[in-house]
Parts: sequence; C-alpha cells; structure tokens
Amino acid sequence: MAVFSKLRFLLYIISFFGFSTIAQATNLLSYTGSHSNMAVHMETQGFKAGQTHWLSVTFTPKDEWHTYWKNYGDSGATPMLNWSAPDGINFGSPLFPAPEVIPVGPLMNYGYHSISTLLIPLKVAKNFHEAKLNITLQAEWLVCKVECIPQYGEWQFTIDTGNASLDPTVKDTFEEARNRLPEPSYWSSKSTIYNENSRLNLFINPEDLNEITNAYFFPETEGVLKYAAEQEWRWDQDGLSLTFERTVGSIVPEIIEGVLQLDTIDGESLYFELSSKVNDATKAESTTNSSPIINLSMPLWKALLFAIFGGIILNLMPCVFPVLSLKAMALVSANYKSKTDRQLEGWAYTFGIWISFMAIVGALVLLRSGGAAIGWGFQLQSPLFIGLLAVLMVMVALSLFGVYHIQLGIEGAGQNLASQKGLQGSFFKGVLATLVATPCTAPLMAPAIGYALTQPTHIIILVFSALAIGLALPFLLLSYSDKMASLMPRPGAWMEKLKQGLGFPMLLTAVWLVYVYNLQAGSTATAILLGIFIIIGFSLWLWQEFSSKTVHVIAIVLLLSSFYTLYEVSRPDTSSKMGESSNHQTFSENRLQELLSKEEAVFIYFTAEWCITCKVNERVALDTDKVQNAFRDNNITVLKGDWTNRNDEIGNVLASYGRAGVPFYLYFAKGEKKATILPEILTPEIVIDYLTTQ
Amino acid sequence: MRKIYKLTFAVIAVVTSTFTAFSSPVIDKPAPTFSGIDTNGAKISLADFAGKPVILEWTNHECPYVQKHYNSGNMQSLQRELTEAGVTWISIISSAVGMQGHVSAEQANRLTTERGAYANFVLLDENGDIGRLYNAKTTPEMFLIDEQGVLRYMGAIDDKPSAQPKSLKGAHNYVRSAWTAFSTQTEITPTATKPYGCSVKYAH
Repeated sequence: MAVFSKLRFLLYIISFFGFSTIAQATNLLSYTGSHSNMAVHMETQGFKAGQTHWLSVTFTPKDEWHTYWKNYGDSGATPMLNWSAPDGINFGSPLFPAPEVIPVGPLMNYGYHSISTLLIPLKVAKNFHEAKLNITLQAEWLVCKVECIPQYGEWQFTIDTGNASLDPTVKDTFEEARNRLPEPSYWSSKSTIYNENSRLNLFINPEDLNEITNAYFFPETEGVLKYAAEQEWRWDQDGLSLTFERTVGSIVPEIIEGVLQLDTIDGESLYFELSSKVNDATKAESTTNSSPIINLSMPLWKALLFAIFGGIILNLMPCVFPVLSLKAMALVSANYKSKTDRQLEGWAYTFGIWISFMAIVGALVLLRSGGAAIGWGFQLQSPLFIGLLAVLMVMVALSLFGVYHIQLGIEGAGQNLASQKGLQGSFFKGVLATLVATPCTAPLMAPAIGYALTQPTHIIILVFSALAIGLALPFLLLSYSDKMASLMPRPGAWMEKLKQGLGFPMLLTAVWLVYVYNLQAGSTATAILLGIFIIIGFSLWLWQEFSSKTVHVIAIVLLLSSFYTLYEVSRPDTSSKMGESSNHQTFSENRLQELLSKEEAVFIYFTAEWCITCKVNERVALDTDKVQNAFRDNNITVLKGDWTNRNDEIGNVLASYGRAGVPFYLYFAKGEKKATILPEILTPEIVIDYLTTQ
Repeated sequence: MRKIYKLTFAVIAVVTSTFTAFSSPVIDKPAPTFSGIDTNGAKISLADFAGKPVILEWTNHECPYVQKHYNSGNMQSLQRELTEAGVTWISIISSAVGMQGHVSAEQANRLTTERGAYANFVLLDENGDIGRLYNAKTTPEMFLIDEQGVLRYMGAIDDKPSAQPKSLKGAHNYVRSAWTAFSTQTEITPTATKPYGCSVKYAH
C-alpha cells in the first residue's frame, strides 16, 4: 500500500515537472495536465517599456471536474501563481472571473465548473530597456470532482519587445475573460456582523435594475458567512438587504469584500464587486461602550417571582382591559354555575393563557435562532398580525352585539350553559388576553423576560409559565371563591344587554390596532382593512342567516378572499413617517457615542407605536411641558429609538441591557459613560427626579 | 380538549427542539463532546480525556494535501512531539462508505503502522456525525482542546495551502505554535484559521 502510494506520488511529480516549454509570440504556454489544461496568453504582440500589458491564465478542467475561485469556500485551494522576472517588471494580483457555487455534500465551494481565465497585469518600468523578457511561472491549482488532484509545475518563457499592438488571435480570449469579470459596484453598502449572523445592505434603488429574482453574495473575506447556509435577501427601505448565517466565534473582519450575484427576471446574471466597511456588533456589551448594567445574572427564583408579580400587575395595564371585561362577564354569570364548572373554567382560562405564551415564546425563539434580532412583542411588528388581531376584535364585538353567534363560548353566559362551551370560551379568553397583553410591559416583567430569553429552553418555559400563571391568577383565585359567586346577581335579561355593552370596549381595542396598522402599512392598506371588517362581518352574517349551500360557498369565498387581500396588503409601508411629537433626535449607536464623547447628558427612550405602555408614558410624562422644560434646562439631548418595525440596532442595545422589549428608558448624566435605567412606568416627577439627582 | 392537548405537545416540542442541536465549535468555549469507536474496537469519548489536552486531526490518506504532510514525515513528527508532551492525539476519518479515504479498522491500523503515525487513537466516523459536530470541512483540519475541554485552536495545520512537499519548507505550523503558546501559557495567535485541502468526504 505504502509503496504503491509513494510510487504514485513520484509519478505525479515526474508528470508535472517533466513538461517545460519555451514559447514566443502570444501563446506563451500551453500545458496538458492529468486532470486539466492550462494556457498562458499575452494580449499584445511584444512588450513596451512604461506600459501595462495583460496576461491571461486559462484553466480547463476535465468534464465534471472544477477549479477554484480566490476564496474556495469550505474546502479546496486558491490557484497560486508565482511569477519571477527581472527588476523593473511587476505582476499585479490576478483578476478572477465571477465565481459559481459548487455544492459538495454538506459543504459549499466557490469556483468554476469549466473553463476559467484569470487576467494578470504585467507592468513594465519606463527604464526597462532589455530586448527580451524572461519569465518564470510557478503555478499550483487544484482540480476536484469529489476527490481532488493538485496540478503544478514550473515553466519559463520569453517575451520580446515589440510594437505592443493587440494580437488579433487572442482577442476573443481576452474579451470573454473581461466579460466574465464582476463589474465594480456603484452602490454604497454597509454591513453588520452579529454573533450568529451578518447583514449586508446595499443602497440600490430597485428601479435601477430589472426585476431581481435572486441575490447571492460570494464573500472573499473570511468570517462573514457559512458558505453552505442559505442566504436570505429582500428589499427594505434602504435598498437590498442580505442576511447570512455565520459561524459563532469566527474572526470579525474590518472590511467585507466579495462578489454579489443578481439574477434578473430575464434570466441574466449580473455580478458586482463589493467592498463594505463592517460594523462589529458581535459583542453586544460593547455596542454601548458605556458598560451597561446587565441584569442577566439574577437568580432563577427572583426571575420567577418577578414574572408572577409582573403577570398579576399586567391585569391592570390598559391593553388587557377589554378582554378582562369579557372575563368579568363570565364571572357575573358565576352565580348559576356549579362550583366544579367554575373551577374548570378558571383552569381553562389559565391554560389558554399558558398555551399562548408558549406559542409566542416558541415562535420568538425559533425566529431568533434564525438570526432575527427581535424581542418581546415582535409579532406586533408585523402589520399582518395587527390586521388579523383587529379583524378578530371586530368579529368578537359583532358577535357580542348579536349580529351572529360564533361559538366562542362568550355567549355561554346566556342561554348556552353547556359546560363544554364554557370551557372553550374560557380557553379562548385566555388566548385573547395574552395576545393583547404582549404590547404592554408591566413593572418587574421586563427584567424577567430579558433574563429568560438568554437562558436554555427549560428556564424559558419556566419563567414564561410563571408569567402566564401570574396573568391568570386573579381570575383563577376568584373561580375558587364561593363568596364571590354568591355576591353576583341572578341571571336575567340584563345579561344580554351587558353582553352587548361589552362589545364597545372590544371596538376600542380595534381602533387602537387600526391606528398601529395605519402607521405600519399606510393609509391605503388601512382603508382596505376597514373594508375587510365589513366584508368579513357580512360573510359571517350570510353564513348565519341562510342555510343554502350556494350562499355558504359565497360566504366562504368572501371570507377567504378577504383574508388573502389582508395578507397581500399588510406590508410595512416606509413612505409615511412615524408620528412625531416632541423634540427629539433619532437614536443611533453612532449618534449616542458622539454625544457621550462630548460629555453631554443624554436621555434615550425606546418605544413602539404598538406599545401602549410606551405611548401612555410619553403622553403623561415625557411629552409634558414639565419634562420637556427639564430636558431643555439641563441641556439634555433626547434620543428616540423607534421599535415599531424591526430594527437590529435597537434590538442589540436592548439585549445588551438584558431586555427584550420596550418601553425602555436610559439616562446618561453629563460626563457619565454609564447609564441609569428608569422604571417602566413613568410620571413627570419620576423622570425629573432622575434627571436632577444624577 | 383532546385538540388542546395535541396543541400543547406541539408547542412544547417546537420550543425544546429549538435549543437542542446548538453545539458547534467556538474558540474559548467547551468543545462539543462526542464519542465513537476507534480502530481497536474501543469506545472512546472526549470526556475520557478530561485533564489532558487533546488534538483532533481530520484525515483522509488519499487526499494529496494529507499525503504532503504524511509522506514528508511532517505530520508524524508533530504527532510525536505533542504526544510526548502529554497530548492525546485523535485522528478522525469521516469519509463515508464508498467515498475517498474510507477505510476499515484493519486498513486504518495498517496505515498507522506503515506511515509510522503517533496518533493515540484513530476514530472511524463513516456516518460523519463527529465531522458535522465540529463542522470539519477539509483534510487536514486540526483542533486543539485543553485539559478543561475548552477549544483553543481550530483550522489549518499551516499557512501554506499547497499540496507540494516543498511548501513545507518555511511553512508556519499553526498547530505547533498554538501548542507552544498554550504550554507556555502565552496567548495563542491565531486561534482560528481557514482550513485548506480536500473536502471531507461526507455521504451525499
């Protein structure tokens, strides 16, 4: 075995070195190797002092074999060309044709499935007066199918001086080679490297190009992406955005270079060379040089306690209120229900809340592992979700008004006393309570959630279960109280009226959702959403009032097409600006660092249009004259971080403070690099207190 | 109610599955633990070597880049040097059945004898599990794990991505320099490099 392999190795060497050629004219060299051919050409006839000439090196692998680009990807080797020539002669780095992807099992290589030509500039100094130019080329290039065969050798050739006119016999070779080079990109770009992913933003105007069907980035730089991982691309407000998976812990480059491939709708592939400065966001701690206070190290029992009490307080927050009115309705009817039924309903409600928390947190964790910088309340950053929630609210309201009866169990309080329905209703109320509760952050909740999201799964489940139990606890306890049940009035016609009355708070919730939807998706989409309310209401009414199959089919078609339309129009609208009120600047990491380096006092508030707690805080505290004057008198720059739509920069800052959601308030006193965190619920007094005592 | 139970399980399954397969090699983090059968039929796992530094070497005797290091004796001298200094050297063959470099236990042992290799263990990883666990991409590809099981170096064996034996002259051996820095308790630089060579022959 060993003898054989040594012999084979020897044969390789002989075959590679046994070939050496001296050539004139423009075909400087052609070599036939075991698995590929190589040829060197010169574009001009002879060389001239003081000029730059171009050489080409063409590799032609055997069928099904491939050669490599300058970055070979996961495995392989870069073609190596070492030129030696007398003083006064300089060889530039080779220009590579745009690469192709070459998947090999679970790995990804970058290279060329067939012929590829590298272009090399040959610079002749002005004072080079020799009549002949002797060049030695040492080359090694790897040819692979699955197995790999390196090809290498050393060759000499001579070029004569001449008139340096273009050689017509190689015109095509050079023209083709130039056509395959990536174009320089005229777009500016920026890139951000996070631990588990990286992002490349190109400021392209979509109208500058034909419609793009695919975008793919070949990095020349290491540490940018996992070569074999899928690349994601999409248009956003700045242009084209590509997101890549990245190997955690790999070196963070300062500049990303590479080739971007854009496939257009007419089947053409365009290649652009890119170079983009990197914004290093791998160390969340260092995104604010201000050494943030990280609460992540709280003990588990404390996080659980925070979560339970946070959950209980959440009941008092404005967003959960409309749903609680539904729950109150069920309680009112408690008088005529058996003790067991009441308790079962209490548990069904708790279970509904718990399930929804688990669903949201499961989705959150999944999306995060996919690299999305999202946090608590992320689903409200999606206009589609907001739209669906609004539709749901209107449907529930219409049902309460008696336009139709969806079997949600809400009407269980009236004639429908079947315990089964009551259970489903309670479960549904739990789900609804959770859905509308997420935009609210109660005190104590934020540190608990921030802590949980950095922990392993079982801890996440534990903390969010505690939160769910906290939210459900008041009603669960009430369901066990006989005293409370006996206090409730006897059922009667008044219940129907109360039920109708409770439809109104649901509509108020819908108004808030429509407001958020309008900010996210724009007024056209909002008008369509309002239309959808009516059409869905109408189709449910049709279904209810007519028993004919045809009418039912029409109702279903109406319903489905409404939902489809909603899906289609619910896209983030970037043309409209978010609501502005107070004197503030937009938050960015750079702006913050700039202010801090000037030793200025800075107040930052992170907010979102869907975050009711934030809006209430702004209304009652931050936007008041009192607080605004305090900002002005103390020369405090106010920065606003808007998290209504997804924003990685803000997501990272929140994460660095152990938070996963808004509201979040930071105050850097004059000359301080360390921030003070303000509570989640603000009054003018609290804010001024923080501003003046620090 | 039954539907609700089903939903619960689905949710729990989604949440837990997200976090299970999350170990990949990261410098200064615990190296992924693995166990496998060596060419003498013994079951070995990374945990067995706690208290000893470990080198993992991905290899494929038919790969020209591996051949450069073995036919020149370069790999063996590094193996000898490090194992004598107390390192446990594990060579891993992740070539799938029918792919280049796939060997039986007997063939692997014969290769060790013929080439005079100093590896303490040769692991056969024909289903590629250990290779994938370490994101091993090329042969050769090297990993240095310290006594605490923490990954200290990963990547290429040296800075000459060539298959020619003459490239060994003047090559900077990253593994040797990582080991020297580690054993003298100075900073290892670089801690990670881009490996070069043949692709690991995983099943397609």
